[in-house]
Amino acid sequence: MRVLGAVTVVALAAGLVAGLGLAPREVTQGNVQRIMYLHVPSVWVAYVAFAVVFVASIAYLAKRADAADRLAHASAEVGVVFTGVTIATGSIWGKPTWGTWWTWDARLTSVSILFVMYLGYLLLRGMIDDRERGARYAAVLGIVAAFNIPLVHFSVIWWRTLHQPPSLMTPGPAMPRVIITALLVNFVAFSLLYVYFVAKRVHLLRREAEAAA
Amino acid sequence: MPDNWGFVLAAYGLAAVVLIGYWRMLVRQESDLEDRSRLAPSSGHLTPGSQTTSARAGERSHAAPISGHPRPKPDSRDPLQ
Repeated sequence: MRVLGAVTVVALAAGLVAGLGLAPREVTQGNVQRIMYLHVPSVWVAYVAFAVVFVASIAYLAKRADAADRLAHASAEVGVVFTGVTIATGSIWGKPTWGTWWTWDARLTSVSILFVMYLGYLLLRGMIDDRERGARYAAVLGIVAAFNIPLVHFSVIWWRTLHQPPSLMTPGPAMPRVIITALLVNFVAFSLLYVYFVAKRVHLLRREAEAAA
Repeated sequence: MPDNWGFVLAAYGLAAVVLIGYWRMLVRQESDLEDRSRLAPSSGHLTPGSQTTSARAGERSHAAPISGHPRPKPDSRDPLQ
């Protein structure tokens, strides 16, 4: 765990240097575009976290394995943290580029619904005293809520939004290599941070369960 | 377009506060659990109740009471005590 923590810190430092130093100033937006190196990896981690909740919830309902339930719980919590970071950094980026902190367009609204659904997931877990019943209800919600992820991702394609369409993996003029590299370094750093947080949270949940038994 | 470095710093600063805050919460929870597990098997610790019981049985303990002062053995006491 300590090795993973150290590697994550190094990767985050590299991501910071890449995003704030090595990546060039963007022509149209200026330096404020550097928020992208934080905002896009955050939402990537949130998607991964909620996809893990989806898979672990199915595994829990199929096998009633406590390990799957703990993984779903930990991943949902970390996903909520990263979705919060995504919304906050997006709002800060929106003010100088769109002229507003917030607008109810399809992407922002769908990601807010995603955030509230997983907050509800965590509240549901905390509200039910019977641990097994709480885990079962949370697993159902974890599966249902995951259907919102494609809605969030494709909302910028399916509806006319203020939010820009996805820049990566779409045909069009290629991004400069240095920008893609800086983005990839941050993707790796944030993914490592996700793994570290989830591993730590799963470990804590297991110890809490052992202490309660 | 102006550079808006203030917005960049605000975004990175806010993200750092949230992520470090979450990490600290996990570390605090871990140390709380460690404290609890360290205290759990300490039934051998002296409590006011256990001292009373041993005193009632005529086996006065010489271990430090809760106040922390060790009790002297009777033959080592000064007559004035």
